[in-house]
Amino acid sequence: MTGRASESDTVIETVALSKWYGEVIGVNNFNLRIRPGITGIVGPNGSGKSTLFKLALGLIRPNAGDITVLGEKPWRNAPLHSSIGFCPDYESLPTEATGREYLRLIGGLHGMKDDTLSKRTIEVSDLVGMRRALDRKTGGYSRGMKQRMKIAGALIHDPDLLILDEPLSGTDPLVRKELIDLIKSLNKDHGHSVVVSSHVLFEIERMTHDVVLIYKGRAVATGDIYEIRDLIDKHPHNIIVEGEGIESLAKILLGEGYTVSVAYGDDRNSITVQVLRPDDFFNRLPELIQQSGCAVRTMYSLDDNLEAIFRYLVGR
Amino acid sequence: MDLDRAFTGIIAITRYSIRKLLFSRKAVITTLVAVFVAAVMGYAGTQDVEPLDEGVNLLDTLILLFFMPVMAMIYGSSLIRDEIDDKSITHVATAPLDRAYSYAGYYVPLVIAVAISMIIITTAGFVAFFAQKGIDSDSLSIYLAFTSLVIIGSVVYSALFLSMGVLFKKPVFFGLFYAFIWEAFIGSLPGVIQKASIRHYLRSIGFEWVDYGSISHYGQATGFFDSVLVIIVLTITFLILGAYLFREKELA
Repeated sequence: MTGRASESDTVIETVALSKWYGEVIGVNNFNLRIRPGITGIVGPNGSGKSTLFKLALGLIRPNAGDITVLGEKPWRNAPLHSSIGFCPDYESLPTEATGREYLRLIGGLHGMKDDTLSKRTIEVSDLVGMRRALDRKTGGYSRGMKQRMKIAGALIHDPDLLILDEPLSGTDPLVRKELIDLIKSLNKDHGHSVVVSSHVLFEIERMTHDVVLIYKGRAVATGDIYEIRDLIDKHPHNIIVEGEGIESLAKILLGEGYTVSVAYGDDRNSITVQVLRPDDFFNRLPELIQQSGCAVRTMYSLDDNLEAIFRYLVGR
Repeated sequence: MDLDRAFTGIIAITRYSIRKLLFSRKAVITTLVAVFVAAVMGYAGTQDVEPLDEGVNLLDTLILLFFMPVMAMIYGSSLIRDEIDDKSITHVATAPLDRAYSYAGYYVPLVIAVAISMIIITTAGFVAFFAQKGIDSDSLSIYLAFTSLVIIGSVVYSALFLSMGVLFKKPVFFGLFYAFIWEAFIGSLPGVIQKASIRHYLRSIGFEWVDYGSISHYGQATGFFDSVLVIIVLTITFLILGAYLFREKELA
């Protein structure tokens, strides 16, 4: 694992951490240990990712339990912020300011001034590929440029730990790839530990194998993404197949070892197949369709969305 | 805490906030108020009135009693609250700067912006009236007295309304209540109850400085040094209260 925080073996640790807003639970009895490197926090919208980050940044205080960041408690701990860079998931750039003015503001807030600040402004804008846009007003930036400039702001004071909240949100595929490469480089080439959130597992998978899956304020799975995928594969997947003459396919499927159940739709032109080992199902399907003589019109998995995966993991 | 670093941080917030305050829509409000005051006082200047007394009364009513708290409320109550609501406060809240210092970084530019705004409005009214009646040493001393009073007013009202922006989710409602109901109504009641308004102490200081108009006959006036002391104590109290609330505030 690369990273300057690697002298310590933990960058963020929570023990029975809970935070609620009135009757709404943000995180609930949350236990987590994040090591140096890149760690992905994955969860559907409203799962508690942003609450976890706010707790890590000391913006809010826990109702119960403990959180430590780089070995220190973050609430009312302003000096700790010199070691953390934060890129929020919302629009936070002052639209009337240029990129340079924005970076000088953030640098100034971190106690940087004069030549040091000017030099660092150039360095980070180079790093995120925004040097040529430094003197343009941020209000005119594209979504991808704004994300890069926010990351530059998070990097200006050269922190040990970067917390990036949904940095890929709303970007097009090309920009997404560039940002993923940038985030990987920030860890590999520049030694920053990165904690990055997303509600898309696939995006995180392209950055790191270390993931934490959050659902309804709890860490439901932590560790290597392949192990988590294995865990997911142990649970039945629901696949809907629609077409003509589908009954013959249903009969054949019931004889397959990975099939748990087959249920007909109301019109008998569709079936919901519950399978273990979905890869085996998809590999065998063309042959089974040919064998049954049915005509498949559409097919889709009910479990492609993250919400379904989390429901599996929490047994609901 | 490294004081040099804290000072650099305060300067960064001050620079950013002063730009935001002076070159925003609020500057349009200042211009409109200045035009309004100039129009009213300019019209009064065309009438056959005793210039020094009438000029002072107009500055007293329009500037000190009405627009001073109103402008401070417009600038002050939304400064921190807007940043909390649109989450741009995150930059400040995630900086390695104690929030009490950050609070000072908001207060200083607020005082500057309110003072500049009020000096512009006072100057507009003064010029519109006294240019017609003749500007001499007496009228200039009136001008200096009122500009000094609005600067003092900016210091204390800014501290009050900035703390309201941290304390309340809808500070404008409370600000309007204070500026229009409390200051205007309580401050004009006879008896000791008017001492519960800031304007009473500003007028008490003005009583010592101005020899014309109704302010020079202010019968309820508190002594000069007591008034200055009350204003200093109020300012410090509001600042400590606001900084404490800001430090303890959860920014969800």
